[in-house]
Amino acid sequence: MSSTAGHALALRGLTRRYGSFVAVRDVSLNVESGEFVTLLGPSGSGKTTMLMMVAGFTEPSEGTILLDGRDITALPPERRDFGMVFQGYALFPHMTVAENVAFPLRVRGLGRAAREEKVRAALDLVQLDRFADRKPAQLSGGQQQRVALARALVFDPALLLLDEPLSALDKKLRGELQEELKALHRRVGRTFINVTHDQEEALRLSDRVAILDHGRLVQQGSPLELYERPATRFVADFLGRSNFLAGVVREVRPGAMALVAGGTRLVQAVAYGAPKLALGTPGLLALRPEKISLLAEGEAADTEVAGEIAAWSYHGTGFALSVQTVDLGLLQVALPAWRAPIAPAEGMAVRLGWPADASVPVAEDSHAA
Amino acid sequence: MVRRPGSAGSARRAGAMSGGYGAGRFARGIAWATVLYLVLPITIVLPVSLTDQRFLSLPHEALSLRHYANIFASPAWLGAISQSFMLAVASTALAVAAGTLCAIGCWRLGRRSSEMVRVLMLLPLIIPSIVYAVGLYRWFGKLDLLDRFLGVVLAHAVTGIPYVVITVSAALAAFDPRLEQAARGMGASLPQTLRWVILPRIAPGIASGAIFAFIHSWDELVMVLFITSRQVFTLPRKMWDGINENLDPTMAAVAMLLVVFTIGLLWLDGALRRRRRDA
Ligand SMILES: Nc1ncnc2c1ncn2[C@@H]1O[C@H](COP(=O)(O)OP(=O)(O)OP(=O)(O)O)[C@@H](O)[C@H]1O
Ligand SMILES: [Mg+2]
Repeated sequence: MSSTAGHALALRGLTRRYGSFVAVRDVSLNVESGEFVTLLGPSGSGKTTMLMMVAGFTEPSEGTILLDGRDITALPPERRDFGMVFQGYALFPHMTVAENVAFPLRVRGLGRAAREEKVRAALDLVQLDRFADRKPAQLSGGQQQRVALARALVFDPALLLLDEPLSALDKKLRGELQEELKALHRRVGRTFINVTHDQEEALRLSDRVAILDHGRLVQQGSPLELYERPATRFVADFLGRSNFLAGVVREVRPGAMALVAGGTRLVQAVAYGAPKLALGTPGLLALRPEKISLLAEGEAADTEVAGEIAAWSYHGTGFALSVQTVDLGLLQVALPAWRAPIAPAEGMAVRLGWPADASVPVAEDSHAA
Repeated sequence: MVRRPGSAGSARRAGAMSGGYGAGRFARGIAWATVLYLVLPITIVLPVSLTDQRFLSLPHEALSLRHYANIFASPAWLGAISQSFMLAVASTALAVAAGTLCAIGCWRLGRRSSEMVRVLMLLPLIIPSIVYAVGLYRWFGKLDLLDRFLGVVLAHAVTGIPYVVITVSAALAAFDPRLEQAARGMGASLPQTLRWVILPRIAPGIASGAIFAFIHSWDELVMVLFITSRQVFTLPRKMWDGINENLDPTMAAVAMLLVVFTIGLLWLDGALRRRRRDA
């Protein structure tokens, strides 16, 4: 039986090539015992390939995988003892729901009574107890996904690998199962590695998120860190939405710098110890739409820019404005709807402003191989 | 994966559909000519088997079942039938085991070399059976397998393998390889994966292969003529001798029983496939 804690996993320089194509490039990642880590990236970024290497189905071209410090790179999948939910479920079509969920227990030689009890508990967990005797083909996509989840959880694995386990569910059920997954993770204290391209899910569930792009690990950190301090344009754009402000560095002082874009002065706070941009070099800032405010008459901000509303829409909780500016192009602004200072209208002239610590300097992406 | 329904079924459905393309006069004519051509020998054999005469002929005055009764009264015919049956069962078991393992092995490797193995397995279909029989005769002489039950079992098993390889490979092509991954990911060993996941999924393919291998052994004559004499005496051999030596209408009766038996097997095959499709 596995210990009460989850496994710790360490990936060292993991690379996978298909011919000359590099699906995963030199990824190193530590997953602590009991941690919930999400691999997040757009379609084709190498998430499934990463997970399949961890599970043992795909052999890494280079690099090693350590489980609690032991090298398991060459260990066959059936000896790794991980729970796994495959992209597209991979349920056994000739078995009923209950038989599917019982499979890992049967493989481990568990007695019938113990098996039935655990299967019932697992099916209860995903609210499928009424469907125990159906075949997978008689279930909806979301129900199949929940069977896959129950099957992965039923033998209480120390490490659970999930490849987009919730992608086929409707919004409400997905939300419920996300909560359930998070509660389950807290309760069992196992290590979870989840793959998704849904950034909201990644932020909501994870202790830590690793962002993949074109097979590279671009940045990893807590959801808050990644959202507030994205390192590259890709991360700032993929996690939530961002405006990108390009300028040239004109002033550098302790704790702050200023960029100039046309006639606009962009004041940027710089954390102590953060690498500084050199005077005269081009710089890029990322700015979240919700951190921009509409300035009232005579109100001042660290950075100010005038513009004109080009388009707007109402989303219940707020307005989404597109404001055309001369120096910074089109800026996306999210304005809370309740007690909004203006009633937006196309062509309306507005003044926007934000404090020096609202934006973050980000690097341009390096996709060149 | 959805299997296509049998062509006869789809033709019937297409015909029933209004606005579908109907078959032209020419195509219809060819189709019926083909059916006649296939069925014609049976239309001769059936009346001959019911003849009231003592020699191969059409019934003169009345239909009679005496030749059918003859079969069951004759130890020689019954012996040939039971020997053929046992041979077919044994060689089918061998062919199914070897053919299934071969197909699964090739499928799991999935490399070009395994493609070669698969082609090699089809050799018995490609080589004319008389050539094969001559080869067998020479080798079996050295191995002391001539006119032995084991020798015929081996010969029929080897030549039955292609049928199994073909049907099992087809079943495996429709098998989702992620199911095997899922099983192994949950800790299943290879034998467990085979028993609980792969075999149940390809069982209809194996059954089809078994039926064809059985039919193959059941009415194989050429090799038997070469490698047996008196000890092993199969049903086709007995019929062959009957035709050469005396023109006993019992042969026609046996032939009719064979036809019915084979049709029964093919119907079973179709039923298995249908069940698979509906499952
Ligand atoms: N067996 C293979 N042979 C060749 N290329 C492959 C193979 N498997 C994956 N790839 C390529 O590797 C890249 C990463 O694939 P992967 O399945 O890991 O993406 P993903 O991030 O899981 O995407 P998605 O979100 O769509 O599932 C893709 O460009 C894919 O085409
Ligand atoms: Mg994927």
